[in-house]
Amino acid sequence: MDMWLGVLVMLVKMAVVLGVALGLAAYMILLERKLLGRFQVRYGPNRVGLFGLLQPLADGLKMLLKEDIIPDGVDRRIFLVAPAVVAGTALAAFAVVPFGEGLTFFGHTVPQVIVDSNVGLLMVLALSSLAVYGLALGAWTSDNKYSLLGGIRGAAQMISYELALGLSLVPVVMHARSLSLSDIVAAQSGLPFALMEPVAFATFIIASLAETKRIPFDLPEAENELQAGFHTEYSGMRFALFFVGEYVNMVLLGAVTAIFFLGGWHGPFFPPIVWLAVKVLAVPVFLIWTRASLPRLRYDQLMALGWKVLVPLALLNILVTGALLVLNA
Amino acid sequence: MADKKPSLVGEIVEGATGLIGSYAATLTHLFRKPVTEQYPEYKRPMPERTRGRIILTRSPDGKERCVACYLCSGACPVNCISMQSEEGPDGRRQAAWFRINFARCIYCGLCEEACPTLALQLTAEFAFCKDDIADFVYEKEQLLVDHGGRHPDYDFYAHAGVAAGGPKGSHIGEDDPVDVKSILP
Amino acid sequence: MPDLIIDGRAISVPKGTMVIEAAERLGIMIPRFCWHKALGAAGACRMCAVKFVAGPVKGLEMSCMTLAADGMVVETFHPEAVAFRRSIIELLMVNHPHDCPVCDEGGHCLLQDETISGNHVQRRFPGRKRTYLDQDLGPFVQHEMNRCIHCYRCARFYQDYCGYRDFGPMQNANRVYFGRFEDGPLENPFAGNLADLCPTGTLTDKPARYTSRRWDCERAPSVCLHCSLGCNVTVLSRYRRVARIEARDNEAVNGSFICDRGRFSAGYEAIPERPRAGLADGRPVPVTEAVAAAVSRLAALAESHGPGSIAVVGGLRSSLETQAALVALAGAAGWRAPAFFGSRQEQAATKAALAALTPARARSLAELGQADAVLVLGVSPLYDAPMLALALRQASRAGAKIIVADPRPVALPLPFSHLPVAPRQLPAVLAVATGQPDQAAAEAQKRLPFSPELWPVLEDAARALAAARRPALVFAPGLAASLPDDDRLGLFPVLPAAGSAGAALLAPDDAPGLDELAAGVAAGRIRGLLVAEADLFTAAPELAALLGSLDALVVLDHLPTPTVAAAKVFLPTATIFEAGGTLAASDGRLQTAAPVQPPGDPVVRDGRGSHPPRAYDRELPGTDPAPAAFWLGEISQGLGQKAPRSPLAAVMAGLPALAGIDCSRLPDAGLRPAFAGPRPDTAPPAPLVAEAGLAVVYDEALFATDDPGRYAPLALAQTAASPVILLHADDAASLGLADAMAVAVGCGDRFVPAVVRLSRAMARGVLVVPRLPEFAGLPPILGPCGLRRR
Repeated sequence: MDMWLGVLVMLVKMAVVLGVALGLAAYMILLERKLLGRFQVRYGPNRVGLFGLLQPLADGLKMLLKEDIIPDGVDRRIFLVAPAVVAGTALAAFAVVPFGEGLTFFGHTVPQVIVDSNVGLLMVLALSSLAVYGLALGAWTSDNKYSLLGGIRGAAQMISYELALGLSLVPVVMHARSLSLSDIVAAQSGLPFALMEPVAFATFIIASLAETKRIPFDLPEAENELQAGFHTEYSGMRFALFFVGEYVNMVLLGAVTAIFFLGGWHGPFFPPIVWLAVKVLAVPVFLIWTRASLPRLRYDQLMALGWKVLVPLALLNILVTGALLVLNA
Repeated sequence: MADKKPSLVGEIVEGATGLIGSYAATLTHLFRKPVTEQYPEYKRPMPERTRGRIILTRSPDGKERCVACYLCSGACPVNCISMQSEEGPDGRRQAAWFRINFARCIYCGLCEEACPTLALQLTAEFAFCKDDIADFVYEKEQLLVDHGGRHPDYDFYAHAGVAAGGPKGSHIGEDDPVDVKSILP
Repeated sequence: MPDLIIDGRAISVPKGTMVIEAAERLGIMIPRFCWHKALGAAGACRMCAVKFVAGPVKGLEMSCMTLAADGMVVETFHPEAVAFRRSIIELLMVNHPHDCPVCDEGGHCLLQDETISGNHVQRRFPGRKRTYLDQDLGPFVQHEMNRCIHCYRCARFYQDYCGYRDFGPMQNANRVYFGRFEDGPLENPFAGNLADLCPTGTLTDKPARYTSRRWDCERAPSVCLHCSLGCNVTVLSRYRRVARIEARDNEAVNGSFICDRGRFSAGYEAIPERPRAGLADGRPVPVTEAVAAAVSRLAALAESHGPGSIAVVGGLRSSLETQAALVALAGAAGWRAPAFFGSRQEQAATKAALAALTPARARSLAELGQADAVLVLGVSPLYDAPMLALALRQASRAGAKIIVADPRPVALPLPFSHLPVAPRQLPAVLAVATGQPDQAAAEAQKRLPFSPELWPVLEDAARALAAARRPALVFAPGLAASLPDDDRLGLFPVLPAAGSAGAALLAPDDAPGLDELAAGVAAGRIRGLLVAEADLFTAAPELAALLGSLDALVVLDHLPTPTVAAAKVFLPTATIFEAGGTLAASDGRLQTAAPVQPPGDPVVRDGRGSHPPRAYDRELPGTDPAPAAFWLGEISQGLGQKAPRSPLAAVMAGLPALAGIDCSRLPDAGLRPAFAGPRPDTAPPAPLVAEAGLAVVYDEALFATDDPGRYAPLALAQTAASPVILLHADDAASLGLADAMAVAVGCGDRFVPAVVRLSRAMARGVLVVPRLPEFAGLPPILGPCGLRRR
């Protein structure tokens, strides 16, 4: 009985998380377009529905109705699966993201997380590493030189910044003494790690920007050199999967940033879920702002930043953090 | 300064100010009123010399200005103007038919520059759509308007000196016709 | 040979060359209005000023008035000259009206060009513009005197070059006026050249008025089809209709001018009646079916009655390509050789006339203009070959004596002696005039005993010809057998039609005449006829009357002739404007005409109402016509023959005079084959016996007596309502006829109405009738009852 209830609760949670993540991703697109519009002193989409609120629906419908072009010379199976890998890994990472303390229904305490894994942090890192497969495979199988170049750039960039990303999280783990995301949030009930570990926070934000391949790190799809980079040959719903994957990734980034550095749902006056929502959304807004503000890096700058600045900085930060922890103890 | 390698601190400061500057610039933009005009609801008044749809105007006396001289079709870089000249019932040269293919027109205005009688003028009307591309081929009847456009007062035939515009010697700046049989010195 | 330097380039020119002409040889175009290479200089416009830096002349001088001399150094772009020319163009523009948009010269106007190149953009003169009243100068030339810049080109051409006096300059000073004394059509049959000559829009081509700008026209070099001289023309076509014809320079043939017949006789290519679809048994069929029908009928006939039962008729307005294709087709199929001429005698005479043109004796039209005595025999220059009259006028201006022996009344714009003798007396005139001058009087009395008034004229002629250094003889082909064997005497034949020379060159010696074919059809020996671009009803009425008895009649043509109407199978052919082709002029000169326009209905008729059709993705109507040579090739293929790729080249290779000539690579001036001289076996034609009755002589009019011109609307509009026949006053008196009397002329078994005109300037015993289809059936000698009052 309990087992079936557990399964049911799990299914409900999954449905809720999936719905929220996808819905957020869809409206993230609208938010980005509106914000970019305003950053550029124009309106952004405002025709479909009130203030353009139905624009994501219209876009989705359009994408569904578009022809799904599969070029000659592609490896069909990989070509078809690759976008799903990108979107799927991004969505899967939400499995370990907690949204608050446990809720109590009829005596049962239901944790607001799908799986409160004790290696949640590693899970997030692992899944974000997996996404590179979708990208690289999709690029390689497109049988297009621009796609291939984009894919190679993407793979190199993601692998490079993975390192800085992982290293920037080490101080967090050192403070929280746990890899479970719930524990990490709990450890920030006082001061969020962003204030305790500003260098780690900055490194993390920069590295995750690169991980999501957004401006100023969008070299894999640099449109003025590579047409559309790795997804040049994709159209219709498959293109939309790549697209949605990117925005799910943004939401995910917001969530993990909130959890790792911004103190999760902790905050004064307002209910925890509001705090969490504000923190989760603040990060994508910052990413969009960045996109409006910064130009794209050169490839050598990208690599130099990753290997010569972020990795040493993160390592140094671990050293300093460890020293401080030892001294404090 | 240029050949001196900047110090690390200098570089960091410069980078930071660059970042802050650009973020600040976009942030200030966020609170400015967008410059976009909501087009179909609000139509911005076009400048007087906007190059839009082409019309054939009339002289002050209400007659067609176009004399079908072929200069516009000769000037047209995309060959979208064609016509046939003929002698009208009043002796004036006119277009038997005059055709502009707006599907081909690039609105460069060279025809207007070439037009010696100020008949052909480009108007500010720029948005006209058709279901069938063949409907963009405008005939003389569709091109003719009943006003003088930007130059309401000009009348080519008042200057031209040909008999179709009035008897010889009656045009602007003309002497009376020479009497070839006069023996006066 | 003066050597001079113009713009830093040295040139050596013949003595007497003007500097402007020397510059032109270097490709330097000095601005000019009054100077024209055919008319020379007038010094009227002052536009051609150049700076003479060194040499016998110094300073600013008119290059058209200065003879090139040794040691001259000329700068055309010297600042002083440029400034002078700029002020001249400004002065010329002071009175020029502001009407370029409605002027037909716009686009090919010399004044426009010079104004632009002189950078004159703003009229600074504040005074009023001079105006003139215009005149109606007839159907061909439009007058707009306001535009005149007084270069005197028109007057010099009209009065000096052509010799007509009804148009010219009047008044003085600032009031000079070029026009007639009163409104009326220009008398000059070369008046159309005024439109080409006039550097402004004062005199423009009236039929082409408001039709097109020059830059919109498709243009191609062509050759005139309306007489045998082969004048060079430029054809301008717009919207698949010939808009205008202009003279094209060919120094050896027509110089810079053409006659009004050549200029205004186009239009037959665009008439609505032109047959444009294939016909089989009177119903329209696709052309491929018409070809198949022609092939099957001819093959069946050859099968059942033998190849000798099929005869071929070729036209005298076809290109050499068509004529050669006919010869090749008939030869390969074993049919009778194509008949081009009325009779074997006519064919032999034409061949003989051409064969006589050895390089030493042949004269071009231009050389004729330089002759110092010309005897014209059996040719009425102004109407048989209009440009010949202009050439004779130039010879006459240089002092040549011109003698014309022709039964018809002859009018020429030059002083000449006319010998109105009957056709049968022409050989006698030739013999006397080219014989010993001291025996001429006695010979004339002996050979022309009944015309004492001609004796002194003949004696004069013989003296003039004997004294001349460059005498020339212009003759009709009938006189070819009587030509004197004297290399000093240049020869220039005038043939009946543009294709006559080509037919004579290409036709095999055994080719029958049309009279033989008529006899063959009547006897039942000939049962099938293939007619290419010929109208039997004018060329051979007796044959045309028998067309109904034929089993097969295949006609190829582009004119709506009655022969086409009688055809069992018809194939539409292309006109010279659509097919181009090679043509042989009367002196044997081979020239190429390029195609100008595609076949197809003109846009004017293709459209509905005032607009041409708007649909662009449909087939063009009326595009079935193809060159006749192409259809003949198709028929040849259908008959299973292995046709040569170019029948013309194949046929020419077999002819001694033409072998080795490549018709696709003829020089610009044309190529005159080197003929070997008359063959000894040419028998003189049987002299016409003086029977009781009137000898019928056909006369050309300026317009609409040639075959294509007869179908040209504009040319047709210039003809008289009722045909006029001419009779000597003495003959008329004996017949009881008076001037302007309505008569009926017996023509076969019917009578044609006409008006009789009396003349004393023509031969006795001769009836001159216009060359019109209705008179085609007249017997050579009209009996006493053939002409009667109506």
